[in-house]
Amino acid sequence: MKELVAAITNLEEEAAVAIVEKKLQAGVSAHDILAACNEGLIAVGDLFSEGEYFLTELMFSGEIMNSIMEKLTPYLSAGETTATKGKVVIGTVLGDIHDVGKNIVINLLKGHGYEVIDLGIDVPAAEFVKAVKETGAKVLGLSALLNTTYPEMKTVIDELKKAGLRDKVKVIIGGAICSEKVREFTGADDYATDAIKGVTFCNKVYGHE
Amino acid sequence: MEESKQKLYNERLGRYLAAIKRKPIDRISTSIPVGSYADAISGYTIQELMYDPQKAEDRAVKFLKRYPEIDTFSAGFSSAVDFDILNSRLYRIPGRDIDPNSIRQFNEQEWMKADEYRRFIDDPIGFRMDIYFPRILGEYEKRGSIRSYIAFLKAGMQQGIAREQSRQINTRIKNEFAIPPSSQGIINAPFDTLTNLFRGLHGIMRDMFRQPDLVIEACEAILKQNLASCVAMADPKKQLPVWIGATRAGFLSPKQFEKFYWPTFYKGLMVLIEAGWTVRIFIEGNWNVHLDHLAEFPKGTVLFDLDNDTDIFTAHEKFGDKNAISGGIPTDMLILGTPEEVRQRVKLLIETVGKDGGWIPNSGGSIPAGCKPENFQAVLDAVKEFGVFHTGPAPKPEVSDMLDVKPQLPQIDRFITSWEEVKESNNWKIPGDEELIKRNWELFERMAYSWVISRR
Ligand code: B12
Repeated sequence: MKELVAAITNLEEEAAVAIVEKKLQAGVSAHDILAACNEGLIAVGDLFSEGEYFLTELMFSGEIMNSIMEKLTPYLSAGETTATKGKVVIGTVLGDIHDVGKNIVINLLKGHGYEVIDLGIDVPAAEFVKAVKETGAKVLGLSALLNTTYPEMKTVIDELKKAGLRDKVKVIIGGAICSEKVREFTGADDYATDAIKGVTFCNKVYGHE
Repeated sequence: MEESKQKLYNERLGRYLAAIKRKPIDRISTSIPVGSYADAISGYTIQELMYDPQKAEDRAVKFLKRYPEIDTFSAGFSSAVDFDILNSRLYRIPGRDIDPNSIRQFNEQEWMKADEYRRFIDDPIGFRMDIYFPRILGEYEKRGSIRSYIAFLKAGMQQGIAREQSRQINTRIKNEFAIPPSSQGIINAPFDTLTNLFRGLHGIMRDMFRQPDLVIEACEAILKQNLASCVAMADPKKQLPVWIGATRAGFLSPKQFEKFYWPTFYKGLMVLIEAGWTVRIFIEGNWNVHLDHLAEFPKGTVLFDLDNDTDIFTAHEKFGDKNAISGGIPTDMLILGTPEEVRQRVKLLIETVGKDGGWIPNSGGSIPAGCKPENFQAVLDAVKEFGVFHTGPAPKPEVSDMLDVKPQLPQIDRFITSWEEVKESNNWKIPGDEELIKRNWELFERMAYSWVISRR
């Protein structure tokens, strides 16, 4: 499995897929393979946050994972769930369609064992509120790349208050435009301009430090 | 133009050009990109500004009456009519597809597939006419239909009309307000063209790993096209800079940047610089790891607009002695901050990056739509307070001493149907003056060629 972790970490697509095929033929469980893949993805994420890897490299690790999943999916028994560290609702706010950063955060959170409810892009405040209510998630992540969305992020948080949910959920806003100033304006609990911070935030909220 | 206005015009232009050339100036230039902010305070919707040239003109007039401190203003009219005529799927249009007040949105997709590089490189016209246009131009989907011919005909007519509408606005702005534009002509980094218009971010990311050689070859092919069309539009007097938005380098690792982005980017700009033009580059996103490369440009040839993510002080350290930099006022400060914060920030930037005039106020790329008016005023006031070097006259706008230098353009045939071909296929004997006919034939061929290549 070390080879597989290394191949993913070094972004060697062909090698990684070949190893997965070999393992599957040798009867290794798809779940164990998946676990090794996640380890590789986390390593890539770490390299990214250390500034070793850049965005396209982080994205390509997701591509490699897609290729691997094509091989693995038939072997993964349907309906089987593994325990998660907690639930996180995430989405890009109304008026904004940027999702590259959000998707990276999602992959990373999944890699770290969180169940992520992805609401997609251009999400109205009411949908965030609904999802938080229905899932009971303790973390809500708002992604935004446009300055014009400052008021919209604030609206989401105001709506949470109105729905009586504000003390049940911690909110982190993320995206290149976020800053302490913006956090303060919106009333969020924290802000992130990198994906790893999202993971640390969830770990803190869910007590997995 | 009246004499007093001509004088004012020359002062503004002269100060701006001197700032780029890194020559002494009387005060910090206020060639601030204000487009989105001007839209926002115009009182019109974005839809109105894209469909009604009168309103676009009024936007400029209102802005310049309110802010006479501004040194340059790009007043052009970016018409949406053209996007309707061909139904370009690359954009979502305010008022047609999205809220009338939202800005035009770019619809990024893999419009060209991973296995289409060869045709793209070898046959740029055929690739567009047969493969790309049917995908991106809704009205051309049914090629050969009456509707598709008429759409192209209308698009050709509209191009001339839009140009004239823009020219009229610019002339009025020049004559009445004595304001020059901040640039003339555009060129893109080949890697950006390939990513934005053809492969999309996800596509190019895979290609860099899976078929790197084709990415490089495609960038080289694009460079030739981009240079040829840029030179045709650039300032013939070689005063105003050519504008470039460098959008996709912030994603790349230094290795990828050096392999895929920089070579054709640098080569293209150096062709312009060596022929006597200057360039103004919007360095979009985070370039902190690529800054050493920007130091390679010769002195006084480039003005860099830095985005929020790139550290302006490091940039200044690396190449501030050679070339001018604009930026450094955080976008969120202009939207959420106070005039005093803005004043302090501008003061700091003038005393450091701008201490000998090599800085122009800006936030990340341009003043944002949501900027508080009192904060924008604070920028202008702070320039008056801290950015005046002497009260003598502004430098005169220098006339280029390289007017005769021809750009070293790569050789490409810019015809779709050559004169020889048309003559032969029609069996024309030409009893009269062949040159006379040929010259006009080729003129329109070149225009058509450029239109096809740059159509989006
Ligand atoms: C790619 C891109 C696009 C693509 C988006 C593709 C997609 N599917 O997402 C396309 C071409 C469609 C696009 C469209 C537009 N864009 Co755009 N776009 C960009 C660009 C180049 C990169 C954004 C990006 O993906 N960054 C990479 C990711 C990984 O970074 P990130 O998003 O910041 O995410 C990281 C962290 O911030 C954090 N993070 C992000 N979200 C979250 C959430 C949580 C919870 C956490 C914890 C962390 C976190 O983790 C991520 C990983 O480290 C930026 C410029 C730039 N260089 O940044 C402009 C930019 C964001 N776009 C801009 C604009 C103006 C637009 C358009 C309006 C342009 C137009 N006229 O069409 C439209 C907007 C449409 C809309 N309504 O949203 C401006 C925004 C200006 C501003 N500050 O307001 C920018 C900054 C460009 C600029 N300088 O002018 N864009």
